[in-house]
Amino acid sequence: MKRFIEPNELARDSRFIRQDNAMATVLASMPDDVDAIVAAFEQFSPMIEESVRGTAAEELFEAYGPAFTLVVLNEPLDPDSAAATMRLILRMHGIFVGELQALEGAARSLWDFPDAPWEFKMNMARQCWDEGRHVQIFEKLLEHLGGHVGMFPESTFLFEAACSDDPAMRVAGVNRGLEGLACDVFRDMIRYAEKTGDEVMQQAVDYVLADEITHVRFGSEWVKEFTKGDPEHLKKTQDFRREVDKQFSFGGSRSDREDAAIPIAWEDRKEAGFSEEELKDLAAVSAEGPSKETLTQAAQILRDRFHAKRSGEGAPS
Amino acid sequence: MSERMYPGMSPDERTTFAPYSAFDIPADLRQLHGRYDVASVAKRVRNFRYAEEWMMMIMGGWVATVPEVPVKTGIGKVIWEGAQAADEFGKRLPELRCGRKAVEASEASNDGFASFVQAVAEPETPDLTIEKLVGIFDVLKPHMVEIYETTMRETDQISDAPTIEILETVVRKTRRHIAWGQEVLDRLCDTEALRERRRARADELSERLAASGGVTGTLASDRGQLN
Repeated sequence: MKRFIEPNELARDSRFIRQDNAMATVLASMPDDVDAIVAAFEQFSPMIEESVRGTAAEELFEAYGPAFTLVVLNEPLDPDSAAATMRLILRMHGIFVGELQALEGAARSLWDFPDAPWEFKMNMARQCWDEGRHVQIFEKLLEHLGGHVGMFPESTFLFEAACSDDPAMRVAGVNRGLEGLACDVFRDMIRYAEKTGDEVMQQAVDYVLADEITHVRFGSEWVKEFTKGDPEHLKKTQDFRREVDKQFSFGGSRSDREDAAIPIAWEDRKEAGFSEEELKDLAAVSAEGPSKETLTQAAQILRDRFHAKRSGEGAPS
Repeated sequence: MSERMYPGMSPDERTTFAPYSAFDIPADLRQLHGRYDVASVAKRVRNFRYAEEWMMMIMGGWVATVPEVPVKTGIGKVIWEGAQAADEFGKRLPELRCGRKAVEASEASNDGFASFVQAVAEPETPDLTIEKLVGIFDVLKPHMVEIYETTMRETDQISDAPTIEILETVVRKTRRHIAWGQEVLDRLCDTEALRERRRARADELSERLAASGGVTGTLASDRGQLN
């Protein structure tokens, strides 16, 4: 068995549909410019349409056009908002596949780095069990909400962004970047479940959040250990984590901005070993995306053009 | 004479408590002397650690390349329990005069066993879940249980009790792993052709395993001892 695999080698059963990762990269690097965002989404429109065909996201595509991801990511999850349940299921599905990729990432660390210290292997092995349970938990929660596995396409950009062939960067990407994002998202989900009185979801996600804090702590400790006495390596690792954080901020949707759909979970992250300085850095990196106003305008233009095209009127200028 | 609680300096100053052997309450028929001395048990434990560590790493490599979600999640737990087994074996080594740094010492019994382990790790693509699982759950783990139980039976029951304690837990969990893996394989191999694939892979690996002498390299003499 070879060491290191490509994201397109992640094995899936026939329920799953892949989504091109290019869109995630576009989301991560969007400028604060309505025209540029509209142009980018129009360019990717055929690819987005292709990837949602036959999935539950097709309904969202038909309603919002190619920018439906902007609407989904940009607006905070509110039980009273339009299509709240479908958006919640979409997010839950995203978390399910994220957990699957986190399981695969932790497990590959055991095979890809055979000479790593034993304690590192123990931590990764423990993470395999935890992520396996998380996959089971989110499959149950998906069903609890009326969804099912495979109803939305899967992007493998989490695996792609986080799976470096350097163990320090791998744990910085997976355990600090990806699992840190999980802390933010799960805290938000708990708030949502409290609002709706969904005790099943609230308790399950709370347990998962506790596990994720442990995983971030693994990352915090192993980045230090792997880069001990090598400030250049540490800097490279921090830069890599920053890149991953930027990509996982989805153009500011996860950030410390007032208009963020997913706020940064400061307290949970501090418990997991993030320093005040690192959190300020994360807040700055994640806030670099376009403003909410820009995204709202772009989404509106894209929706109007899409519907005009669908009804044969041609795009309004 | 009044009841004496503590012994004094002369024979008539003995306590009044009735004498018992260390094995009388409750009756304990264990006897001293096992088949292995300290150095041989240490070698066995290093061999066991090698197998558990490699099984854990191999399954770690497979999680991403098996398409069946329940296999991915189930393997996640087997990996963690394999890591715990390897860790317990490692912690036993310094107690067997191997030095404090020995906690991470894994050792293949011989090149044949090391090469057998690499053969178990060989299947890679998503269409080979059966071949992957057979190597671990039909061949290697059942072999490990056999050797663990032989070791538990034949080592010094009193002097080497700490090794036995570790093995008891590992055997209990390994039996559960085998039951899970074989149930998955039974479900996956639902045609005669697939069952044949399973048998062929198991036969091929079992032959290699036997030729290597197994995890401790002493399979033939272990089995001879049993007979």
